Order: sequence, then C-alpha cells, then structure tokens
Amino acid sequence: MRRVHEFSIAEALLAQVLRHAPTGAQVREVEIRVGALRGIEPEALQMSWEAVTHETAVAGCTLKMDLQPWTITCPECGRSWTSPIPFVDCTCGNTAPAPVGGDELDLVSMTVDEEET
Amino acid sequence: MSGQTRTVRLPIAERVLEANDEIAAGVRVELARRSIFAIDLIGAPGSGKTALLETTLRALSGRRRPAVLVGDLATRRDGDRLARWCDRVIQISTGEGCHLEAGQVRLALGQVDLEGVDLLFIENVGNLICPVGFDLGQTAKVGLFSLTEGDDKAAKHPYLVTAADLLLLNKIDLAPYLSFDRAAFEADVHLLNPHVPILEVSATTGAGLEAWLAWLDRGVARARGASAT
Repeated sequence: MRRVHEFSIAEALLAQVLRHAPTGAQVREVEIRVGALRGIEPEALQMSWEAVTHETAVAGCTLKMDLQPWTITCPECGRSWTSPIPFVDCTCGNTAPAPVGGDELDLVSMTVDEEET
Repeated sequence: MSGQTRTVRLPIAERVLEANDEIAAGVRVELARRSIFAIDLIGAPGSGKTALLETTLRALSGRRRPAVLVGDLATRRDGDRLARWCDRVIQISTGEGCHLEAGQVRLALGQVDLEGVDLLFIENVGNLICPVGFDLGQTAKVGLFSLTEGDDKAAKHPYLVTAADLLLLNKIDLAPYLSFDRAAFEADVHLLNPHVPILEVSATTGAGLEAWLAWLDRGVARARGASAT
C-alpha cells in the first residue's frame, strides 16, 4: 500500500510533540489546526497518528483536529459564509462564488499531566 | 514520595512541517546563490510529467543547462528516459513515500554537479495531493493536468491550483477525441486562483511548447537578475 501524506504529517507531528514535551510529563492530548486547503482526511490522520505513536512515550495520546472550513464570498451579493466544501452555490442564485481556504497546519497546544512538586 | 499530578495545557503555535520547511529554506538560499530557477513539477500519474520533461529537455539542448531530480516510487525508468536528453539527472527513489521532501532534494543536489546549471526540474512523485504541502525550496510550482483526466480535476485538487505559479494542460492534441470542457476547467481554476496562467501543451506533438519555454526563459532571467542584486 502506498503511504498517504497523512502518515508523513503524523510522523512530523510526533517528532515535534516529543521535542516539546516537558521531561517526565505524560502527554494526554495534542491539538492541531488544519486549513481547508490541506485536504486532510481526518480518519487517515487519526489512524496514522495511532500507528506512529504506538509503543512510544506518547502512545494513547489523543489527537484533536481543528479542521478549518472554506470561506465562500459571493461577488454578486456580497454575502460571505463558511462551508466544508469549496464549490457551492450562493442563495442569490450565483453558481460561482469564490472559495478561499487556509493552508495552515499548526501544532496549537499540548495537554500534559505533570507531577506537582 | 510522589506528589499529585495536575493537567496543564501548553500553547505551542508552531508549524507541523517546520523541520521540512527549514531544510527547504536552506535549499532555496543555495539555489538562489547559484542563480538557478527551480521548478517543482506536480501532476497525477500518467499526466505526462516525464514526457513533458523529455520534450522540454530536447528543446532546451544548447539553449539552457538544466538538471533534473526525479522522484519515483520504485523504478529507475523515468530517470533513464530523461538521461537520454540531459546528463545531470538524479533519480530519487521514494520507496513507499507519496511525495518528495526537502531533505531528499538537499541530498540529491549534493550528488549533481550544479556548476553552470541555470534551470532545475524536480519531477515530484505522481500525485496531486501529497506533494503540494511539502516545500522543496523550489522557485516555482508547476501543476500539470491533462485532458484525459477530466475537466473537474482542478476543482478536486484546490491546494495544487492555489499553490501553483503556472498550470499546464497537457495532451491538448487529444482535444478532438475527448469531451473535456476547457472553459469549465479554466473557470474552476480561476475561482480558486484568479491570477495563475494556464498554458495548453502537448508533450507528444510539441504544440504550445514555445509559450512554456518562454515562461521558463523568463524564470531563468528573473533568477539571474535576483542574484545579481
């Protein structure tokens, strides 16, 4: 089976999480923000995350994905709204409003359990 | 004695592909220093990436000093095809990888003599999705679509369309035999990326090649001008 790009992203994310994790802390949750342009399949990324973290220090850590929608702007009526898909009709009848998506792929935060001292 | 644990949320705000992007930035600096115009060529399997490069390299012989990096999953076939037209071809076997990463490009560039080279083609792995998000340090991204793929391919791959500096529509010689709606394709492209030029070409017949070569010439001239300043 050919590797999906979600797998490479999961690998890069794991390296990044391990780099940022405070010594001795247990990482519980990792939160990422994904722009609409990235075309990430959430299930594929979730599966890849489980695969790459298996038997590592962050095994079992939850991956929280904040998937950003497309922003659609209609040049005819000026309406602007968000949509999970880029090509949609406007309620004014315009069949070609302009879709704009972000290409961000960011590690937003990590939630960790730390020993209180 | 162990204390109690507390749960803390640590804000990070860092790009996930930062490690790749950093290597890519280094590659970009090195290519700029050498005044090399570098193209990341992205297209689906069978869209004609290798055929386009064969035709392009043949047309450029004596006119430019190109080098080629070619990503392929398992075979050396693309590299062998291109080596007939260019003596600076490096094959990057990606194994199971569905795209090239900046580290592979940096490594491959170390294996090719870049002295005098003014144009670098990086033929990415045949895929319209995965390669787009990985910066390779290129000067320009070129997306290759072909008539046989259908006129909805651009709409289905918005990241490539928005990221591309140029789109090529290949196999234009087959237009009489296919129901490809060029106006619909163009409308989708320009909704996503209003400014990207689209050039129609045929790697087989050479149709439209002059406009593509002129675009390359302008890129080479820009790369040269940028490093002179």
